[in-house]
Amino acid sequence: MPAGGDGLNQLKVVNNRIFSITGFSLLFAYLLSFLFEGQVLYSMLAYHNVKDSAYILAAIVAHFVGLFSCGYLIKSPTAAKYMMLGSMGVCLIATTPFFFAPSVLWAAGLIVSGYAGGCAVASWGYFLKAFTPKNQRIKSCADVLIYSNIIMIAVNVVAINLSPFIGLILSIFCLVAGTAFIWALPAGTEEIWSEETENKRYGDIKKPLLLLCLFVFVITINSGLMYQVINPAFEHLTGLVSWYWAVPYIIALAVMRNLPMKAKRSRILYIGMAMIMGAFISFMLLGRHAPDYLVVDTLMLGACGIFDLFWWSIIGEMLDYTENPVKVFGIGLSANVLGVLGGGALGVAITSIRLSGAEVAVIALTVVCVTLVMLPPLNTQLVMLLKNHAYLAAYDRMSGMQQTDIIRQMKTLEELTVREQEVLQHILSGKSNREIAVTLSISESTVKTHARNIFSKYNVGSRAELISTLLKNQSYT
Amino acid sequence: MKAIRKRRNCFTVLFVAGIVLATWATVKPMVATASVFGAASIASLMLLIKQSRLFYDASLICDNSILAVPSAVISMPGDKEQMNKKEVVVSSFGIMIGSKIYKWGRTGVDGVRLNTVDIDRTRIYLTFGDGTETMRIELMHGMADEQAVMDVKERLWRETGVTAIISGW
Repeated sequence: MPAGGDGLNQLKVVNNRIFSITGFSLLFAYLLSFLFEGQVLYSMLAYHNVKDSAYILAAIVAHFVGLFSCGYLIKSPTAAKYMMLGSMGVCLIATTPFFFAPSVLWAAGLIVSGYAGGCAVASWGYFLKAFTPKNQRIKSCADVLIYSNIIMIAVNVVAINLSPFIGLILSIFCLVAGTAFIWALPAGTEEIWSEETENKRYGDIKKPLLLLCLFVFVITINSGLMYQVINPAFEHLTGLVSWYWAVPYIIALAVMRNLPMKAKRSRILYIGMAMIMGAFISFMLLGRHAPDYLVVDTLMLGACGIFDLFWWSIIGEMLDYTENPVKVFGIGLSANVLGVLGGGALGVAITSIRLSGAEVAVIALTVVCVTLVMLPPLNTQLVMLLKNHAYLAAYDRMSGMQQTDIIRQMKTLEELTVREQEVLQHILSGKSNREIAVTLSISESTVKTHARNIFSKYNVGSRAELISTLLKNQSYT
Repeated sequence: MKAIRKRRNCFTVLFVAGIVLATWATVKPMVATASVFGAASIASLMLLIKQSRLFYDASLICDNSILAVPSAVISMPGDKEQMNKKEVVVSSFGIMIGSKIYKWGRTGVDGVRLNTVDIDRTRIYLTFGDGTETMRIELMHGMADEQAVMDVKERLWRETGVTAIISGW
């Protein structure tokens, strides 16, 4: 009986994961094909001869606000589920004016659905954590990105080659179907929320989150830039662009998804960097014909696929160390939208100074190089901070004797004083300098000085490195 | 400590005044005067930074005080002894004699370290250095109670890892 019960539970978990991925993929396909600079929206605006930039900008800004703010409104799993369903409903209503002639309802609809779409996406952070095991989150993220992009390509092809209205109907169908899948998911897994509250002890999530946002912003600023610089050059290849645009992106995601878990992520990051630079260089050297487009787009979108899954997987990891997965997921993705906006603005600025195509590409390439140089150190810091959280969580679950053993096993250049041992214990329990100062009734600058001495004695440069070294030591033993 | 704070405040005032006057001279415009005040501002800024660091060190020493005595005898190997009548604070991270600071235990294994501590009936002898230079300071500790001496020994060991050698008690 227990085995049968376990099997049933496992089946339920798998079903929930599939439903969650399918529901979100459909929602995301709606966003990509319509709301977020989608071809359906562009086709509708072109069909009615409406100037598009203000509408598109309004939708993106509203989407950013929705992603960023949703986590502050959601306080429980039930709220996350209903926020997602409610937001998808609002998107549905706000999209209907596009079946009619342009009016103020279009702008209002885009702003409202932009905001609601942001909230719906952020809310999925809860489902990602609840229904996907930690080591499988990269696969779930890859799945939603792959499926949503495949659906988006299908909708785009219809909107461009058949009719924008049919494209709009398909987008809305995605939204409705996505709502049905999310509706079928259970909401009442409160223990996941309480687990997160427990994890709050293992250090502050603000610093890694801030670093992650910077990382995502730097990565996606290049996407925004390339939209503005490269896309207009191949506008005349409408048919090819409509279906091939996201194909390299999907292939890159599929390759990344199936990489062994042991694969070094930093190396993949370097491959992505090389590809995006290659894209800009080939853009400068090649012509503007279909084969040239295939080369440039393959390199560029392939790199985007690598980068996107890279930071999505980091967000997935971070969900374990947060009080509120909706907040972390939403804020992480909002950095992506901000990056697209920043890159877009940069692209507009570069292209508006009326330089030749080659000069524009050189400037864009320089910007890309500068931003990409920032990625490896940011990645190192981020990995270090995430390792800290992983270690502190494991350390906290150990018995007092095991904790002492780990510290003893670490070789120091010089023995720690009693006071330094006390400070070290508090550092390893995830306390900040200020908290340690309060606990030991000493000043914060005293704690900092002791910490500096401890780092020196362990021959490490920072708290993150100390914890990381302890983690390595623990895994060796 | 008070003297250091006073000096730091003086340099803050000088720096702000220099900036204001340099701005005023630039607006007038009096290029030569602006340059003089500008240079004075930079100089006072540098002194301000130095005093702020000194003040930080002094605060750290006072926050972690182990022993406060009214006078000290300072001796370096090969030099003559100097008597100092200013207030002296011995702490986990150094010693402050008036507004002069000797630091130790601040930069881990490579920096200046407290090496030995000897306590007799009247004096406490502290030796510290970084391997290339060693300094010895004698203080009149003024402790008459054995328990107070043992407390100082305990605190020194706990905070710095140095075991004080007690003689004559």
